[in-house]
Amino acid sequence: MIQWNADLARRLQCREEEKKGLGPIIKRLMNLDRKARGEGFLSLESELPSIDDPLLAVGLRLVMEGVSGEALEEILATYLLIEEKAGWPFLKACVTIEGILALSESDDPALMARKLLPYFGADKALAALEELEKDEAPAGKER
Amino acid sequence: MIEAIAEAASSFFDASKVSRQKKDALFELATRICALSADARSSEKAIEKAAEVEHRKILKTGLGILTTGADPEAFDRAFAQAKPKDGADDPGSEFEWLFVRAGLRGIAADEHYSVVMRRMTAFLGSEYYDKAEDWLSDRAKRRRAKGESLVFPGELPDVIRILAMDKRNLERVLRAAGHEIAAAALAGCPQESMDLARPLYGKIGAAALEDDAARMRVHLSSDEIEQAQAALLEVLRNLDERGELHLGPEDELVADPAYVAAITKAILGVDQTIIKKAFRQAEGALVATAMQGMEPEAHDHILGALSNKETKRILDAIDDADPLPKRAVQGAGKLLAEKLFEAAAAVKAPKATLERLAAVRDWGS
Repeated sequence: MIQWNADLARRLQCREEEKKGLGPIIKRLMNLDRKARGEGFLSLESELPSIDDPLLAVGLRLVMEGVSGEALEEILATYLLIEEKAGWPFLKACVTIEGILALSESDDPALMARKLLPYFGADKALAALEELEKDEAPAGKER
Repeated sequence: MIEAIAEAASSFFDASKVSRQKKDALFELATRICALSADARSSEKAIEKAAEVEHRKILKTGLGILTTGADPEAFDRAFAQAKPKDGADDPGSEFEWLFVRAGLRGIAADEHYSVVMRRMTAFLGSEYYDKAEDWLSDRAKRRRAKGESLVFPGELPDVIRILAMDKRNLERVLRAAGHEIAAAALAGCPQESMDLARPLYGKIGAAALEDDAARMRVHLSSDEIEQAQAALLEVLRNLDERGELHLGPEDELVADPAYVAAITKAILGVDQTIIKKAFRQAEGALVATAMQGMEPEAHDHILGALSNKETKRILDAIDDADPLPKRAVQGAGKLLAEKLFEAAAAVKAPKATLERLAAVRDWGS
């Protein structure tokens, strides 16, 4: 559920060039989601060494541990709220958290993408989706 | 946007202002609160006793509120009202207040101590994650022996066994159901079911699942556990209908259409007097299971042949029946076809009727 407020909108503001960096982040989250769905959540352990974002690493470890729902959401939000982030780092962290929550619910990667695309902004989301689907197509679609 | 972030976006707290020494002290405080969280589950007086001897002002205040049995929302309100005014400008005090509130709110929500620990140490930053992990792992190792089993009649243990043949299936179902429902459903299953679920969560998550199931076994009513089991099976059915489970042909929950057509046609071809005679000897659960693999017109034909009392017996059994894998449904259908065949042969039913029943009886042989 999208729950915007003025303070949040202000914090999420960043340059258009920076927003382009969301594409690779979303793709990575979708790949992690695909792995969890296909090989089980504990298989994500093998991905941890290559993850340099502490928030993503902690989130995946919590999910592997079985933390879910409201508790997971609130714990991840706490990690975000203890730092005075704004702009691109804040946007990136919000997308990461939203992706981890989608992954914990075993969302289909395509559904996950649709949850994350609004962070591009209403005017850019459709183009970003097309871009994402273009890149995803050769990998094959999930049933 | 994540609700928790949206709600709290105006109350950011820069933890970089809090010293490492203070954070280390708070980590020790978290371990105390988590140990208390575990103790509070086995002793009603644990919080009261801890409140009496506590010297730390913020924690003492919070524990005092918990002794009133406040739920998480009531706790939040009371704790906010009791917030000390002196030290409002001290980042350390403010931080400690938020930190303690997170932990005690977890206790008020009856969360497992591992979740309480994760809630609290999130305030300390990701660099404390491993420290919390070590503490929780050590605690998980020292857990008490497994609790007694409380097994409810039903198909769930069989279903779990089938799902566990491919761990992804069991994991998808348990995780889609959520921790609460999974733990409550497993509370009414034999230890074997729990042993199949545990490896899917890692040692800390497994300890939480098992501890919570043991607690629910004591604190939930039979009806609540049965409802959780029904909810888990409903989740399973939904996932299966969406094609999200990796089931083999014999384990699918959707019956083979050719079999459904065959048994439906066979049932519709049997005179209702024969059905009445044959079903008198059949158990309600067997009929209910077999009926999962028939079209509705076959249900009507069967129920139309029975007395009100018999109909009620069968309908009650259907209400109690959980969705079963194809092999269980077809197995029951074959047994039922055998009973019908014997009753039909005894009254010299038409050859075509007997052949259709025999085909179902011998299905897959």
